[in-house]
Amino acid sequence: HILIFYTVSDKQNRIKLINHNYLDLLLSDDEEDTKRVVRSAKDKRFEELTNLIKTIRNAMKIRDMAKCLEEFEQLCRAFLKSKTIMDKEGVPQFYIRLLADLEDYLNQLWEDKEGKKKMNKNNAKALSTLRQKIRKYNKDFETEIASYKEVQSCSPDAFTSSSGSDDDDDEGITAKSLLKKKPQEEEKKAPEASKFLKGAADEESESEDDEESEDWGSDSVDSGSESEDNEGAAASLAVVFLKKYDSRRKKHKKKERLEEEADEEAEAEEGGWEKVKGGAPMVKEKPKMFAKGTEINSAVVVKKLTEILQARGKKGTDRAAQIELLHALAGISNENNLGEGILIKIKFNIIASLYDYNPNLAAFMKPDMWKKCLECIDELMDILFANSNIFIGENIAEDSENLAISDQPFRVRGCILTLVERMDEEFTKIMQNTDPHSQEYVDNLKDEGRVCGIIDRLLQYLETKGSTEEVCRVYLRRIMHTYYKFDYKAHRRSLGLQGETKSEQDQEESEGEDSAVIMDRLCKFIYAKDRTDRIRTCAILCHIYHHALHSRWFQARDLMLMSHLQDNIQHADPPVQILYNRTMVQLGICAFRQGMIKDAHNALLDIQSSGRAKELLGQGLLMRNMQERNAEQEKIEKRRQVPFHMHINLELLECVYLVSAMLLEIPYMAAHEFDARRRMISKQFHHQLRVGERQPLLGPPESMREHVVAASKAMKMGDWRTCHSFIINEKMNSKVWDLFPETQCVREMLVRKIQEESLRTYLFTYSSVYDSISMETLSEMFELDLPTVHSIISKMIINEELMASLDQPTQTVVMHRTEPTSLQNMALQLAEKLGGLVENNERVFDLKQGVYGGYFNRDQRGGYQQKQGYHRGGYEHLSVTSKLLFTLFCGGSSQNALSLSSSKQLPSVDMKSVFLVWLVKLNVCVFLCLWLL
Amino acid sequence: MCFGPFPLHQTMASRKESAASGSSPLETPVKQIQIDGLVVLKIIKHYQEEGQGSEVVQGVLLGLVVEDSLEITNCFPFPQHTEDDVDFDEVQYQMEMMRSLRHVNIDHLHVGWYQSTYYGSFVSRALLDSQFSYQHAIEESVVLIYDPIKTAQGSLCLKAYRLTPKLMEICKEKDFSPEGLKKACIGFEIMFEEVPIVIKNSHLINVLLLDLQEKSTVADKHELLNLSSSNHLEKSLQLLMDRVDDMNQDIGKYNTYCRNLSKQQQQKQQYLQRRQQENTQRQSRGEPPLPEEDISKMFKPPQAPPRMDTLLIAGQVNNYCQNIKEFTSQNLGKLFMAEALQGHSS
Repeated sequence: HILIFYTVSDKQNRIKLINHNYLDLLLSDDEEDTKRVVRSAKDKRFEELTNLIKTIRNAMKIRDMAKCLEEFEQLCRAFLKSKTIMDKEGVPQFYIRLLADLEDYLNQLWEDKEGKKKMNKNNAKALSTLRQKIRKYNKDFETEIASYKEVQSCSPDAFTSSSGSDDDDDEGITAKSLLKKKPQEEEKKAPEASKFLKGAADEESESEDDEESEDWGSDSVDSGSESEDNEGAAASLAVVFLKKYDSRRKKHKKKERLEEEADEEAEAEEGGWEKVKGGAPMVKEKPKMFAKGTEINSAVVVKKLTEILQARGKKGTDRAAQIELLHALAGISNENNLGEGILIKIKFNIIASLYDYNPNLAAFMKPDMWKKCLECIDELMDILFANSNIFIGENIAEDSENLAISDQPFRVRGCILTLVERMDEEFTKIMQNTDPHSQEYVDNLKDEGRVCGIIDRLLQYLETKGSTEEVCRVYLRRIMHTYYKFDYKAHRRSLGLQGETKSEQDQEESEGEDSAVIMDRLCKFIYAKDRTDRIRTCAILCHIYHHALHSRWFQARDLMLMSHLQDNIQHADPPVQILYNRTMVQLGICAFRQGMIKDAHNALLDIQSSGRAKELLGQGLLMRNMQERNAEQEKIEKRRQVPFHMHINLELLECVYLVSAMLLEIPYMAAHEFDARRRMISKQFHHQLRVGERQPLLGPPESMREHVVAASKAMKMGDWRTCHSFIINEKMNSKVWDLFPETQCVREMLVRKIQEESLRTYLFTYSSVYDSISMETLSEMFELDLPTVHSIISKMIINEELMASLDQPTQTVVMHRTEPTSLQNMALQLAEKLGGLVENNERVFDLKQGVYGGYFNRDQRGGYQQKQGYHRGGYEHLSVTSKLLFTLFCGGSSQNALSLSSSKQLPSVDMKSVFLVWLVKLNVCVFLCLWLL
Repeated sequence: MCFGPFPLHQTMASRKESAASGSSPLETPVKQIQIDGLVVLKIIKHYQEEGQGSEVVQGVLLGLVVEDSLEITNCFPFPQHTEDDVDFDEVQYQMEMMRSLRHVNIDHLHVGWYQSTYYGSFVSRALLDSQFSYQHAIEESVVLIYDPIKTAQGSLCLKAYRLTPKLMEICKEKDFSPEGLKKACIGFEIMFEEVPIVIKNSHLINVLLLDLQEKSTVADKHELLNLSSSNHLEKSLQLLMDRVDDMNQDIGKYNTYCRNLSKQQQQKQQYLQRRQQENTQRQSRGEPPLPEEDISKMFKPPQAPPRMDTLLIAGQVNNYCQNIKEFTSQNLGKLFMAEALQGHSS
């Protein structure tokens, strides 16, 4: 498109230009439009060609044949592409010229034997190929080239510059040289040119120039745009003299001229519009829109509106000005009392063009735009509420609209819901793009109230007028603005603290519905009525989140389980997945607050084990190398980020996870100290422990993680007091625990859990040193009441974690001492390992036999010797294994004897079974050995 | 527990011929070893002073060969030095030491080296390499293994080992591939040979000892009856388990190798068959047979894992097993004794 603005220093000029542009746009008719499209396509092609030609010429100059060849091939291709245009317009002169020149040049080079010898191999090769190619190619253009050569020979002076020109071929002939060379040509243009120059420099005087420029403008209408590249023989003088100015000014001029031209054309065609005189070129646009005498009625305004809208989305359109224009139009229609229909229509379009203002999806609205947008929507809502006889909808066809004031209700095409949704998205975008730690963010966040207000109003409006789907959509919007907010009022009310120190305003606010009630109502409506899966999924997730946030664990959990979202969430789109992750995390934290440590751990495991919690929750991008993510993906991911005010505190999340892992893992570790196949409950937690162990110097803990690690260490020893002091102290309070709404409850729960788990750990770790232990002592040690201790120990006994029995009358735990000693444990482990070894060994043997068995049979004599050696070499493991087992057997029996002699007790049952296993294995091994040798 | 190959003085190699000529080169050059009490004491002292826990001390043995027995008459420790002590020249130190000893008229012939051990874990690649280079240069050289833990429990544990001629051959060829070992018919049992040790003191010392024996009060011999043995057993088991793990890994490696090999063998066979069929077909059609291609190039055999480490591990496991067996059988006896005593007293 040619109507592109170039920098003009004078502001006023620019405004004026814009106006021109508008007029041009407004007044252009269809015919003009199509013509322009053709032109631009042609321009594009021609530009491509000229660029290529330019490089070819440059390559010719430096005798780079290889480059020449390459470019020539490209040129041919480009030419083919623009074939359709060429068919219409004829082969452009410059193309022919290049072909002719190139051929001449090549011939010249070819004959220059000396020069050819000097050329390097590549170039020489390229030269011969190119020569052949161009010969062939030029056959198609024989006539053109011939005519060109003829012309050239007739007036060589006109072309000397072009062929020998040092400057870019794009500009073709430099203006100056041309001017010098052709002083004889039409001198009468010169004064005009100077005038023109003046006009360019001084826009104020432009209007006076109008008459004149009209003259020349009209006769150079075609040349200005069409033949600018055709600067060869057919080039009109207007172009020639245009070239005189530097490119910037030239284009500027050209464009301006075009505008004027269009102006005039329009005037000629429409006739009805008064010609715009530049006499008072004010910023105000209104007078230009409607002629003074025109009667402004709705039809005219609608027509105008369509005109404005037609410019929408086009390349050269100034979007800001368009908004202005629409505003002005709204003002006009308001002044003339054209009715709400028109006004709404215009408002719709204003908002739409506000959204259009940023062509880039990633860019966010400027604050003033945003304000304007909010106001506009507010006004729109006002109108809609005030006039109940207006029907709006996106399904109302353009031609069935009823905008004029009549008895019928207004019918306007447009969807307010989409607008509001878009507004909401814009708001999110603004929040995403504001630095969360700045005052600006807070200021922006204050708009959230307005956004919510608008959504609320829309909700009311749609509840009466909208379809179910629309209601669902707006409900979801409402939910999205509610689910993550903690309802302090309801919280206070539930605690019975209302009206203590609250101001009147607070009182007033608390009159409103509980967010829980709202959520419930909205979500249930969506569950019942929604037909798109996505809205329902989102609603469920938000509902769960809200439940979890307000510590309604069972509701939240049941909803999660009933929805079966866990099974199919991986098919959802990323934003929903992020929402799901957020919900799971919130659920986990809720479970933790309720003291359901295991549930909390399970809910958080997936998020935490990946180590990408930040990314999974959409709270920031992880640093990654570019291979994994290119710029495009990064942009997409950035758009998915959750605004800062909705973030879940990551440290809190990690702390909750680590503490619950600690409460689960430490007793488990103590119980399965010697279990060879012990599996970790939480890798993350173990990782932290290892990191803690690696520290060369252990200072007092600083970070949250260090605190948890230190606490874990204390808990391992059953020292609950130290553990408690590490988990709950000033630092941890300020970092983590104070972030919970019911801090005190959580802390109390934590202390109790720590006491219980420490007791369990203590019993696991130290039961071997006790014969019996009084429960009273335990209850004192861990500051738990007796029934609790009793229940914990009973549970351990029932689960066969603790080999002991309770002696009721004395309130003591009597240890049975049937846990294997560490040596026995080790022997068990060894036996297991040996089992693996034997298995492995057998596998080797199987393989050998499969391959070599036949061979041995065939060649018995030679094979035997080999076999023996091979057994010696390959099967040393076997005999070792059997030996090992025997040794162990001896070792085991000695242990048996030991226990016999010391405690006069029979060895435990499992030891016996182990012996049996050993025996069997030993037998197998011996059998194998015998069989082999 | 790393013991680098103990540096051996190169000039010692020159002594090979002369030493070998002393005894018949075909048979084992040393049938038994006679150690001076002084050497034993020096080794024990060396460990006591420098070795802690699993750290290992090493030193040089000096002596001479008399007929078919090797007499070790003296030794000197090898100083421990840190990594950053670059200037330290080990060879220089040895030479200096031997020269000094020669000056005071002590046997200065290098006949081997000694090393302490931790729960009997000494069978390693480093020891093998080191002993090989010794035995290669000085045929009669031995390695003395001193077990301080056992010694502390009341029974002196000092053992002399030599590499068997078979193992020497293999080491010379450096062929540790499965085939090589198979051909050599070597197993873990015949890698090392133990040489019997006799500790001998001079008459004067014997006299002194007898003299002292009378003077001294009755020595505490309670260690011999000590029953609390689980610690030792546990440690041994732990080490054993580690070795077993290693062995398991090695077998796994070998297993995959075997599988790969057989798979390739199959492919090769298939390829050959196909080729043959094609050729017969071509022949029947009267066309010339396909040219022979280098099959070994097409099917590169997979890299065979070296088996020496497995052998060594097996040897080490064997060692542990023996230790444990010895220990447990001793303990069993003690336990029965204790039980009998208990029954008797009650």
